[in-house]
Parts: sequence; C-alpha cells; structure tokens
Amino acid sequence: MMSFPRPLPLLGLLTCLAAVIGLTGCKKPFSDRAQDVSVFRFSDNGAPVTMDPVQSATQYANLMTTSIYDQLYEYKYLARPYELKPRLAEALPEVSEDGLLYTFRIKKGVRYSDHECFPGGRGREVVAGDFVYSMKRMFDPKNLPQGEWLWQGKIVGMDEWKKTGADYAQSIEGLRALDDHTIQIKLNKPFPQLTYTFAMGYSSFVPREAVELYGKEFGINPVGSGPYVLKSFTTKKAILMRNPNYREEFFNLEYEGYDPKKQSGLGLEKLDGNRLPIMDTAEVYFMKEEMSRWNSLNKGTEIHYGVIPIELTHMVTENLKPLKLKPDYEKKFTAMNLPELGIVYLYFNMSNPIIGHHPDPEQNRRNLLLRKAIRAGYDWPQRNRRYYNGIATIFPGTIPKGLDGYDETLGNESVTPDYEQAKRHLKEGGWTPENLPELDYNSVAGVRMTQLYEQFRGWMGKIGYPREKIKFVQYATFGDYNKAVKQKNCTLIGMAWGLDYPDAENVLQLFYGPNGSPGSNSSNFDDPEYNELFKKSIVMQPGPERTEIYRQLNKMIVDQVPAICGLSRNTLTVWHKNVVFLPSRNPHGSLLKYAYVFEDSKD
Amino acid sequence: METLQYAIRKLIYAIPLLFGVTFLSFILMVHFGPDLTYSILPKSATQEQIEEIRAELGYDLPFLQRYGKFMKEVVTLDFGSSTSSGEKVSSILKKAVPVSFLVALPAFILANLLGILLALYAANHRGRFPDKAVMVLAAIGMSISYLMVVIAFQLIFCTSYGLNWFPVQGWVEPPPDYPDATAGEIFYYYWYYYWSYVAVPTLASIFVALGYNTRFFRAVIVEELNRDYVRTARAYGVRNRKIMMKHVLKNAMIPISTRIIITLPFVVIAGNLVVEKFFGIPGVGLVTYDAITNGDLPIVKAVVTCTAVLYVLALILTDIVYKIIDPRISYSK
Repeated sequence: MMSFPRPLPLLGLLTCLAAVIGLTGCKKPFSDRAQDVSVFRFSDNGAPVTMDPVQSATQYANLMTTSIYDQLYEYKYLARPYELKPRLAEALPEVSEDGLLYTFRIKKGVRYSDHECFPGGRGREVVAGDFVYSMKRMFDPKNLPQGEWLWQGKIVGMDEWKKTGADYAQSIEGLRALDDHTIQIKLNKPFPQLTYTFAMGYSSFVPREAVELYGKEFGINPVGSGPYVLKSFTTKKAILMRNPNYREEFFNLEYEGYDPKKQSGLGLEKLDGNRLPIMDTAEVYFMKEEMSRWNSLNKGTEIHYGVIPIELTHMVTENLKPLKLKPDYEKKFTAMNLPELGIVYLYFNMSNPIIGHHPDPEQNRRNLLLRKAIRAGYDWPQRNRRYYNGIATIFPGTIPKGLDGYDETLGNESVTPDYEQAKRHLKEGGWTPENLPELDYNSVAGVRMTQLYEQFRGWMGKIGYPREKIKFVQYATFGDYNKAVKQKNCTLIGMAWGLDYPDAENVLQLFYGPNGSPGSNSSNFDDPEYNELFKKSIVMQPGPERTEIYRQLNKMIVDQVPAICGLSRNTLTVWHKNVVFLPSRNPHGSLLKYAYVFEDSKD
Repeated sequence: METLQYAIRKLIYAIPLLFGVTFLSFILMVHFGPDLTYSILPKSATQEQIEEIRAELGYDLPFLQRYGKFMKEVVTLDFGSSTSSGEKVSSILKKAVPVSFLVALPAFILANLLGILLALYAANHRGRFPDKAVMVLAAIGMSISYLMVVIAFQLIFCTSYGLNWFPVQGWVEPPPDYPDATAGEIFYYYWYYYWSYVAVPTLASIFVALGYNTRFFRAVIVEELNRDYVRTARAYGVRNRKIMMKHVLKNAMIPISTRIIITLPFVVIAGNLVVEKFFGIPGVGLVTYDAITNGDLPIVKAVVTCTAVLYVLALILTDIVYKIIDPRISYSK
C-alpha cells in the first residue's frame, strides 16, 4: 500500500489560516499610546477624480473642495429652507440699485494652510486677488473647467478675456480686486442668483503659488484656507486633517437655524459653542459597493455615516413613513430620511419631429397629444414603490417642494397614471398602433436601467403602444450617453438634475430654448412664450411677481410636456449613536466640520 | 549562453508582437473607447466649449499624429498625465502596482503551492475517494462566481453578521507620527495592518484559484503517472514518495510552471478588480477600472502596454525556466 501522501495540504492550509486568524488575537499597534486624535469617518457612494475647484462638478469633488478651500458664502447648517451665511465674506454683498454692481468684503487675517509653495512654507493671507485669479482659472480652457456656464455672459468682460487668449496679466472690467479685501463684480444684466453661485466649490479661493508649483497635478495637491488640509488621497479614501491655520470659528446653534420642533433628539445642542472643525480628522471613504459600505457601517468600528442599501430596507427598518428602525438597529443608529434637492425626469427630445416640435401645426398638435398620452401612462407612484422605497416625493411640474415657485394648487393629474385618459389622447390625435412612431429609450447600461425600461414599456403596453416600437438603446458609459444626448440623437432621455442652488431658476433654465443641446436643455424645448417669460424672470429679484412668473413657467412645462416630471429622491441615511451630524446634500457643500463624535470608537 | 541568446532572439521577435498589440489596443481605445469630452462636459455647454475640450485632450489631432504620439509614449514609457486628475501616470502606477502586488502575492503563492500539493494527493489516489473528494471541492470552487465568494467571505470574516475578525475595507496607511516610535513598532504596525487587510482577499482568491489550479495540475500529474518510467520505477521498488516528488513532479513542472508564470503579469500589474473594489484596496485593478469608465486614456494605454510587455517577458521567462527544469531542452536552431 502506498504511504504517500501525508496530510500536507491540509496542514499547510491550517497553518496559513492559523497565522492569519492569529492576528485577531494580536495587540493593535500603538494601542498603548494615548489616542488623542478625534476622527469622523464619513462615506459616500462615489469618488472624486480631482480636487481642483474648477472641476468640482460632482458632489464628491464638491465635498472635497468645500472642505479644503474657502468660498465667499456657505449655507447655514441647520436652516431649512436653505439660507446663505458669509464664510470668507464679512457679510452679504452690497448690491447697487440696478442690481449690476456687487461689492464683497472678505475677512482679514485669514491664512492659507502652511505649504512649501509659500515663501518660508508659511501660508500667506487670503486676498481678494486670489478670487479674481480663481475666477479667471474657471474661464481658462486649459483647465477643462466645468462651472464656467454659471457665469458665462454675466460678468462684464469675462467672456472677452477668454476669447482674447485667457491672459492672466490682463484685467477684466467686471471682476476686480479693489484692495486686498474688497472684490467688485460688474454684471452685464442682473443675476440675482450670483451670491448663491459663490457658495459652490467652483468659486473657491485658490492660491496662485500652488497652481504654479504643481501645474497639472494641482488637482491632487490642493492648498486652501478651509477647515481641513488633505493628508492623503486615493479613489477609495481621503484623509483630511484639521487646518492649523484655520481661523477662529465657533458653532452657534441659533444662528445656524436650529429648529427644536423638527431637529430635537439629534443631539445638535452638543455642537453649540464648539470651535470648528470639531474633529481633528475627517476620513472620507468612497464606497461605490453598497453592501461593503453597509457592512462597514454596521460593524460599529469603521465608518460612522452611511445609507441603508435599498435591498436591506425591510431588514433594517420597521417603518418608512415616518422612518423607524428595527430595535437592533435602533440601538446602534440615528436615522433620517434625507430629501434630495433635485429632480428625476424623462425628457422628450423636442427637436425630434416625430414626437416634439413640428413645423406643421396639425402634426404639432398630434405630437403634443402623443406626449400627453405617454405621460398619462407613466406610473410615478409605481416607480416610487419599486425603486425608491415609496419614500420619494412626487410633484407636478419641474419646481420641487420647498422652492419659491412651487405650486401647491397645481393638480396631480400630470403625475397620476390614467390609462383611459391616455387612450383618449391617442384617439384624439389620430394615433393608432400602426402609425405610432418607433421610440428609442436611452440609458446607460445596467440591470437597474433595463428594469426601468421594461417597466416603462409595460406601462406603454397598457395604453396600447406596441411593445416592439419602444427600443432600448444602451450606452457603456455616462460619457457615451451624454454624447448622444448632447448631439440630439435620443428621443426619450432619462435624466436627473441636482440643483446647484435653491432657486427655481436653476430648473426652469432646463427648458429655456437658447440652452438647447449641448446646453442644459436636453429636451431642446423651444417655446417663444416660455423663452420670453423666462428671460423676464431671470433678472428679477425674489418677490411675488417673480414667484408668479415661476408658476406660469412651471405650468407651461406641465401643459407642453417636454418632459415627464417629476420626482425627488430620498435617501435613508444612518449614523452611529455617538455621532452628532445632520446630513444634507446639494446645495450644501462639505458639512464635515460640524460632525462631532463624542465617544469615538476605540479602534 | 545559449539561453541568453535565445532570450535576446525572443525579445527581438517580440517587437512586432508588441507593435501589433499596441496598434490594436490604440484602435480599440481611440475609436471604440469612451470619449472623455462628454464625461467632463459642464452641465451646460456650448459647441465652442466641446471643441475646446477636444483640443485640450488632443482628440482633434489626425489619427496618424495621435498614433505617433502614442508610440512615442510607449517607447519612452512616459504616458503623460491622467486626463481626469492631472496626476502623472507613472506616479499613479508607482503607487498602485506595489499595492496590487502585495495583495495578490500571498494568494498567488499559496494557491499554486496548495494546488500542487492537492493535485499530487488526488493524483496519487486516482479514482478513489480522496481523489473524488478533492475534485468535487475543486469543482465547487470553480463553480461559484468570484464575486459571490468575495461577498460571502467579506460577510463571514469582516462583518458583525459573521465573525467580525477583519476590517471590511481599507489599506495600510502611513503609521501615526510618534517621534519616539521604534523601528520594531513601525515594522509591527505595517505587518499587523498588512495582514489585516490582505487576509480575507487572500482567502477568497485562494478559494477560487485553488479549484482551477488543482484540476489542471492533477491532470498533468496523472498523465505523468501513466508513463513507462513510473511503472519501471515502481517495479524497481522505488518508494512512492520519491517517485512522486523527485520524478513525477519534476517532469510535470514544465506545464505547471507555464501556467504559473503566465499568470505573473496579473500579479505584477493587471491587479484584481473584484477584490480591490470590494475591499477598498487602491491597486492597479481599481485604477484601470476607473480609467476605463472615466475614459482616462493615458492610464488605459499605460496598463495595456505594460501588461503586453510583461506577457512577452513572462513567455521568455517560461522558456528559461524550461531549460532549468530540463537541461536537455535545447534552443539552438
């Protein structure tokens, strides 16, 4: 009988396992030293690729830039509706009567973080000239800027500066530093939302020295005057350390808009009087994999803040409206239903005559009825139940709840499915299964997107639209999809829009004719009456007259159906009981400086 | 000397191969790959801005000029800067490659070593229960998707739903800045966190790779066991262990080493996307994935080129190893 083999493989495997498992019994390195550094571990579901403010288009990039850099303004932490407060500015701007001249005064004595780009390595004072330089960077094509559109055509001389070669030595009439602490901006026409745009990461104060030192690599070597400095960065994790040069800033509960009726029970009172940033270190984990993120959160010793994956909603929650967690999770987490300041749409490409604008008035009328029929078949409530836990907010038109112009009197007919009504529209328009046009439903490839398409096709089946006439066109990446949209090659376009600032102008401009593709108006809706009214509204200061115009514009969207809208998503967010935090997404920038872990986990 | 000449000859022969690989990958990337222009396009843009972005990215250059630029990058191994972050590609790879290597290395060694041992064990018990048991286990390992294994192992070893022994995600950070920290403490810090982060990915990788390795190695060893010299050795009364370890294994090492060496480029550069994504490891697999989805061509070009070069080198290395294993092999014409 053969004696070979001995149980070598098993022994080997066991040895390896023992060695690895043995680690769990080992003492943690440096565990005998005093751990006096406080840490908040935040997580997000995506990662920035750069921290250059001119490219901070994503919420992830904006989180980083608004943590590291200063902007003139920011939103009060707790105030809802959103309210601006000065950040680097001393106060709100002085605005001339005609609304064309803005004067901003910035705080004195604010310093950049210490860095080798400055003489002697000591951060110099932030001056008004930095703002002028930073805005010029936004208009310099070499930087591949993504926020230029916010100010395009608005600041006197800015566009011309770019056209004449973006020479930084050349001054701009409408953008000047009057002295080290005064910025003056001259506008071509009133732009009441200007101050809001200066709370965005795009408008960060950037020191020229750092840009010149790092060149192309400036995006991964940020140097700012914000509450944090970057210690390390990968696309999986960023470590932010307290900026030792950060000015004295203390949290004032009342000033930040605390509402005891709505916000008590979150421990926010503990923040009062604390110097910002409260924690020494903020670690940001970029975790696209929902389950890994949840596991890390639920573990209790890793990330402090995250979201409940949609697949686990029923395992974790007892009730969604109002949100209540199951007892095991209730003990661990504070939970909140976080509303999004944004909207989900399905656009019709109005430049496509088979469904959109048509030179023949009769065909135009038939196309409108066709769009109305498709909308009447669109089941927002079902979509909400299936894909958004039933907690999203559905509303008619394009102006989300909470914004000036939101119309409570607008009926819900446009967001309620009515298959009989849809069939009536089709009949009225003379549409039959034979003459209905073939439609392409466009989206980025993915299981979820395929499900959304199939759901849509199912609804259309109910109104008598032949299933085979609704094609699915998938794109490998968002870039490919965006290209098709911007080139007007899509008929049905699923999109979402996160508001850049809390003003309905930001969503109404999505239907302004001159903003057609490749502009933000992906529906290419071009209605002279709408355009006229919108043009009138954008130079108006907030007030009842403007509100009325916003409502009229919103109603026109409902009547003309360039898009099926809308829905605002909600997210089920949770954070550990020992953390004081009130999450918010856009238009807020980074809220990391307010986070307070009052009994940090000992790991 | 003969081997060296052979290696040089192979390297020269590899030039057209590399040329072909780079040309094909360039065509695929440039003409069928993602267009970064529309990924970084502002929310609202004009046609003029699109043209500006295309010009900045070099997309507006004629095909031959772009290809010439690419070939220059290949020859000088300077792939410029990432179009997404602006960071030098060489700097990105310099950080990511060692991470992937350190993650993949333990699994690579153990999966091959254990695979050989299990294959020897199974082959030696051909047709009997131990053989069938090993093969069934190997089939199980091969049948479960890698993604499922990773998720399950993470759940079992890293979460509060399971054993909760290891961190869910992360990678070794520089140690805290204690001025009085000793070299021993620093070494312990790195050792501790390295194994904390690498243990579960290693176990998951072994679980998956072991099945494939064992089946392949067993087939090779069984074939060797059927040879006449094995029967002769047994007839002469040579001990079974000696036959297995000294003769069978040695002769089976040529196909085994081919398989092992050919996977080396993956260990060195290609990385392991699934593991890196789920365990939050900033390795080259993740970098490549992000580059593909972001349309960051300089990184994709660098990874494709380096992988192609390493494959060629791996093939040459395989031939050299053949000679070491079996000196009778001759490369002379």
